[in-house]
Amino acid sequence: MKKTLLGILGNNAFGNTVASLVSIVLGLAVGLVVMYAFNPSGAWPGFVTMLQGGFSDGARGIGQVLYYTTTLILVGLSVGFSFQTGLFNIGVIGQFTMGAYVAIIIGGKLTMPGSIHWLVAILGAAVAGMIWAFLPGVLKAYAKVSEIITTIMMNYVALYWVNQLVFDTHYEKSTVMSAYVKKTALMPKMGFDTLFPGSSVNSGLLIAIIVAVFVYILLYKTTFGYGLRACGANREAARYAGINENRNIVVVMLISGLIAGLAGGILYLSAITKNYKISELFINEPGYGIPVALLGISNPFGVIFASLFIGYIIIGGSLMQGYGFPVETVNIITAVIIYFAAFSLIFKNMLNRVVLRESFKDTTEKKPRRVGLTWKR
Amino acid sequence: MQHITKRFPRIIANDDVSFALRKGEIHALLGENGAGKSTLMSVLFGLYRPDDGKIFVKGQEVRINNPQEANRLGIGMVHQHFKLVQVFTALENIVLGVETTRNGVLQMNEARQKVDALSKRYGLLVDLDRKIQDMSVGMQQRVEILKMLYRDSEILVFDEPTAVLTPQEIDDLLKIIKELAKEGKSIIFISHKLNEIQQVADRCTILRKGRYIATVDVAGTTNEQLSEMMVGRKVMLEVKKEEAQPGDVALRVEDLVVKAEGISKLNKVHHVSFEVRKGEIVSVAGVEGNGQAELVMAITGMLPATSGKLYLNGIDITNWTIRQRNFGYISHIPEDRHKHGLILNFNLANNFILQTYFADQYSANGFLKNKEIYTRAKELIQRFDIRTAQGPDTIVKNMSGGNQQKAILAREMDREHELLVAVQPTRGLDVGAIEYIHEQLIRERDNGKAILLISLELDEVMSVSDRILVMFKGQIVADVLPQDVTERELGLYMLGTKVEA
Amino acid sequence: METVTFILRQMLNFAIPLLIVALGSMFSSRGGVINIGLDGIMIMGALTSVTFLRFTESTMSGQSQLMIALLISVGTGVLVSMLHAFASINLKADQIISGTALNMLAPAFSVFAARLFLGDSIINFKNTFIIQEVPVLSQIPVLGDIFFTKAYITTYLGILILIISHFVLYRTRFGLRLRACGEYPQAPDSVGIDVIKMRWIGVLISGALGGLGGLIFVVPNSTNFNGTVSGYGFLALAVMILGQWQPVKILYAALFFGMLKTLSATYSGIPFFNTLGIPGNYYKLMPYLITVIVLLLGPKALAGPKAEGQPFEKGMV
Repeated sequence: MKKTLLGILGNNAFGNTVASLVSIVLGLAVGLVVMYAFNPSGAWPGFVTMLQGGFSDGARGIGQVLYYTTTLILVGLSVGFSFQTGLFNIGVIGQFTMGAYVAIIIGGKLTMPGSIHWLVAILGAAVAGMIWAFLPGVLKAYAKVSEIITTIMMNYVALYWVNQLVFDTHYEKSTVMSAYVKKTALMPKMGFDTLFPGSSVNSGLLIAIIVAVFVYILLYKTTFGYGLRACGANREAARYAGINENRNIVVVMLISGLIAGLAGGILYLSAITKNYKISELFINEPGYGIPVALLGISNPFGVIFASLFIGYIIIGGSLMQGYGFPVETVNIITAVIIYFAAFSLIFKNMLNRVVLRESFKDTTEKKPRRVGLTWKR
Repeated sequence: MQHITKRFPRIIANDDVSFALRKGEIHALLGENGAGKSTLMSVLFGLYRPDDGKIFVKGQEVRINNPQEANRLGIGMVHQHFKLVQVFTALENIVLGVETTRNGVLQMNEARQKVDALSKRYGLLVDLDRKIQDMSVGMQQRVEILKMLYRDSEILVFDEPTAVLTPQEIDDLLKIIKELAKEGKSIIFISHKLNEIQQVADRCTILRKGRYIATVDVAGTTNEQLSEMMVGRKVMLEVKKEEAQPGDVALRVEDLVVKAEGISKLNKVHHVSFEVRKGEIVSVAGVEGNGQAELVMAITGMLPATSGKLYLNGIDITNWTIRQRNFGYISHIPEDRHKHGLILNFNLANNFILQTYFADQYSANGFLKNKEIYTRAKELIQRFDIRTAQGPDTIVKNMSGGNQQKAILAREMDREHELLVAVQPTRGLDVGAIEYIHEQLIRERDNGKAILLISLELDEVMSVSDRILVMFKGQIVADVLPQDVTERELGLYMLGTKVEA
Repeated sequence: METVTFILRQMLNFAIPLLIVALGSMFSSRGGVINIGLDGIMIMGALTSVTFLRFTESTMSGQSQLMIALLISVGTGVLVSMLHAFASINLKADQIISGTALNMLAPAFSVFAARLFLGDSIINFKNTFIIQEVPVLSQIPVLGDIFFTKAYITTYLGILILIISHFVLYRTRFGLRLRACGEYPQAPDSVGIDVIKMRWIGVLISGALGGLGGLIFVVPNSTNFNGTVSGYGFLALAVMILGQWQPVKILYAALFFGMLKTLSATYSGIPFFNTLGIPGNYYKLMPYLITVIVLLLGPKALAGPKAEGQPFEKGMV
């Protein structure tokens, strides 16, 4: 009995899940406190509304949750994939933006049959994201320049460049947004519109889930994924073992960028009303990539659950406006969740230490382990 | 220090240890890795609070809560790994923490005068304006000593100070230490090198497995007695082995030139040629940084050869990738097991397949065969007696250093190979583990494998190898048999002052 | 001549907040903690101090009001940076993630608080802080026009901070110790310097200067605050890197980026740049692109403090 219990506790997945749940609870609690501070009377009903999230609006609400989840899964996978291999792709926003632009251009300018137009557009978007991630990958691999710095810079380059490109090539003056894409370029509904009438959920959701499964298999079941993870966990050891660590770093950035670009393409082809807004601010959605990846502990299936949760409270947050709380309230909660997730590692290590101590009592090892004597190095 | 006891969750690191240092004496502290020397010194410097026992300085009972308090009491330490900021000058490093300031502004000139006086008085030659990163190891150590003297320390602790030095540099250091003692400083000299203790120390305290064993006058004690007290049994000072039966040439290095890692254009290996035969252990001795690391990296493929050739069993492997060499030809026990040898966050099973995960035994169509991987891992754990908490699932980070090294050994021995390159395979291990690894190396030799051993420990070089090469400034300056040479002669070769006729 | 002095004044207005925040970032990095949360810290500093300006505009004005606002922005920055210091130094959390949390929190909180507190997410205030002419000094030829006419006191504050930063970093005990903590914390630790404390101070200075930079970004350039500092926190990071973590070089980088920013805002009014016909967005993206290119060409000099981003474990002798 004790053994099984320890098995569960010592299981990384279990510790990770607990850590994520703790972060979520703390995030929600802090959010509630902030709401109370600014609007005591509306806080509780507003909070409850948020927690009811998508369910308060029937099938449409659930559909909208899934619509948000689609994007969140993909951006979460993009960030999480880079985490798993020891990189930190903060450039998801830029890659996403580039993907969005390419999808809009292919969708708006080219003429193709409906069966392939959208497909060509999102593939173009994926390639665009990949290209945008290439330079940071190369710099990291061959010049040891932090990918964090370069991707941040590339984000801003993408923001201003796409603003200009949209303005120059596919602009609608009356809305200050990109012009419409053709109907043939919109993501197929595949029956989602009858299942969740009035919502924007579409076949992108299936693509996101397929990508998640694909990433899981790639990372954990293939030799290719083993090589990537080895590089991520210890670049020097991977080199010693003859794994081409520099090439792998570039490959990881390319795949991460590809998924981010794909996310941008799918989002901007989701509905005819979804257009690119010229703004000095980044698109909101890809910013959730980091919280989703952290909550999902970069595990592809964890990412799906984390996306559902964040999508759910985003919809809930939009309903809170009735109580005077702006949609940004959700971002406060998400930010607090990230903050706590940042040191969820501490919590996991604590758990591990308990498990380790217990499991050593179980084994027959007689030689004392030298703990605390590692002070020299 | 009286009756010091320090317990950790799973071990008693110091069990009722007492230690008394007289003024002006050199007192050696002898013990194996893990005997409790480090813990005792950590207690002295206030890093650990003892569970029991008292510390007296000049007859006064003191409580030491942090290194700064120890410094204030006049206790200073030269660490084995220097605590120096590489991009600072010697002077900046010396004053760090006890800077002279006027209204918060650094006054370096006053410090410079004081340091100059000290270095003259004790003969410690140091270029005060040179950055640490541009200094030799010996000079860095002198900076560390000046650091203590600058703080007016009366009790000086040297933690294995000779580990990084050549025999001649060691002579200089021991001279300095004696000089310091003559000037009235009291010195704790931590070491496990018996010869040095005989040379320099007045008395010696021996610790074993956290317990106080004895304090003896060095003059009246033999090396054998000291080592017996240290290990608790009679030690094999000689490694037992049969005469080597060298066979065909396995590795042939021909006129090899290797450049340093990174953008530097410096040649670290200059036109080196040698052979290693099957069934023979060849050691490369030398002071750290004389090209051994680059030689190994070139042989294992981690650095390209600038010119020259490498042959294994007559096959030209000069341009092979690391992976090609790993596969059936070369096994490599790396110098730094945490940096290169293991992926600490992976479990044991996944560490065993580090170089071979794509092989047919472990994969099919690009997918890993987990069943085979774990079966193999269980076999290796049993065969090499690796102690683990959760078998193949044990995260390597949670294993002891000795077991981690055994895991690397298991992986490298198990993989098919013609040549085994072992770089400091016993560093940081206790006597039991060292013996085990030496036995394995010799068994490997007797199985007809070629072994190239790189070691900084002259004892190890002398006792294990069948032939010794000495590297100095990137060149091989000696190719000798261990029975024909003394440690001192090796030292002269290592310094380049003696060149083989 | 009139346009040139106008451009140079404008450049200073853009460059000074960059300079201040980049110097803040430098102090944090030099101590070994990377602070990418400065964008968020700027926003929070601007939020509280601009709110103060708004609430006191009927009773106060001019430099005294601005002075108090500056103090408030500093205080806010210090408070917010504590979150980052605690997570990254004490809890040894990933410094990038905790900084990201701040960057996500601040704009959301700013909109949230302004909406609930003031009823509108945009906070307007009266800008009464411009100094038309500094007596005597404004008469100096050329320089008088650039530095002492239609000037803001914040410009002088920025230059003062630069001088102090340089002095503190290289000439004081604190600076020596801080740099040691960012390069090899084991060394200062072994001589009894409290690395944790030094790193805390480094982060708090970055918070103080970050918060200050937030207000100084808003004040000369605008009469309202809408919860964003246009990515200036990230731009400051680029300035710090190009400035190689050295105060004087940071000044050059800040001036250069300030110039590009000015061009993006004013190019159409300048005949020469107008005929070039390059849209403003390209001037805006230029600083970021240049940073990437410089990193691509000369990464060696841009390595930064060695222990930056690594948590420090005490207890290793």
